[in-house]
Amino acid sequence: MARTFQVGDTFTHVRQCDRLRPVYYAGASGDYNPIHLDPEVGRLAGFNGVILQGLCTLGWAVEAVAVFVGDPGLVRRVKVRFSRPVLPEDTVTFQGRVTAVADGRMSTEVTATNQRGEPVLRGAVVETSLG
Amino acid sequence: MALDPKFVGRAYGPFTYEIGREKLREFSLLLGGSVPSAGTFGEPPAHVSPLLYSREAAQAGPYGDIIAFPSFAVVFAIRPFSAAIADPELGVDRVRLVHGEQELEFLGVMRPGDVLTTTGHITELYRKAGMDFLVVTTETRNASGEPVVRGVWTAVIRSA
Repeated sequence: MARTFQVGDTFTHVRQCDRLRPVYYAGASGDYNPIHLDPEVGRLAGFNGVILQGLCTLGWAVEAVAVFVGDPGLVRRVKVRFSRPVLPEDTVTFQGRVTAVADGRMSTEVTATNQRGEPVLRGAVVETSLG
Repeated sequence: MALDPKFVGRAYGPFTYEIGREKLREFSLLLGGSVPSAGTFGEPPAHVSPLLYSREAAQAGPYGDIIAFPSFAVVFAIRPFSAAIADPELGVDRVRLVHGEQELEFLGVMRPGDVLTTTGHITELYRKAGMDFLVVTTETRNASGEPVVRGVWTAVIRSA
């Protein structure tokens, strides 16, 4: 039985960036930029150590919506601006809100904030098919 | 120094990538939060869809086989963007580069064995608020020539 979605529906997805997550994501994705692996390079870039790959944060925003709709194969589009890096040991809370449902397609706005309340993504939009 | 707008239109690729089953599992599980140990990708976290790693579950599902997590597309579709950033004639200062924006459009699901070819080109080069913006647009097609993924990749190069 197909689940129905309505404008205004909301959902939350919480993800931890454990200390080695940038290393794991590097291996899985092939993004071995040293800013994600070498704390000294991270410090030279103005951070306190390594930072998580922005595309991992994008992946989590997509995941938040995929879990909400129940099928990752239904995701059709994602668009984000990276406003602040995620750091090891950060907790990121993704909050989604359905903004449009029409013609078998759904649009969702997603905010992502760290445990200090700072946004790590801006203007994130994820669109899905509804099967 | 501003990037020269004469490079708008410069093309990179084609780059070809064949999707492997274990790579899809690895990406989905590690993005999803699993903790790998020697020789394994780790236990699947509860929220990760079995359609992404279990052949049995996938065969009973809508796609008949495991599928790629959508953002797995970055693994291969990033190539023209990376090539532009590394292009010595363009002269991007990588120390000051950050990934500013990302857009991905998925026109179909990606499965093990798919052979995908990505091309891309620089669509915009502009300066705003003392920073250089480099925009690369990519298109990935399957072996039949059908588009599977489109991407718009924006790098921001901060001033010295």
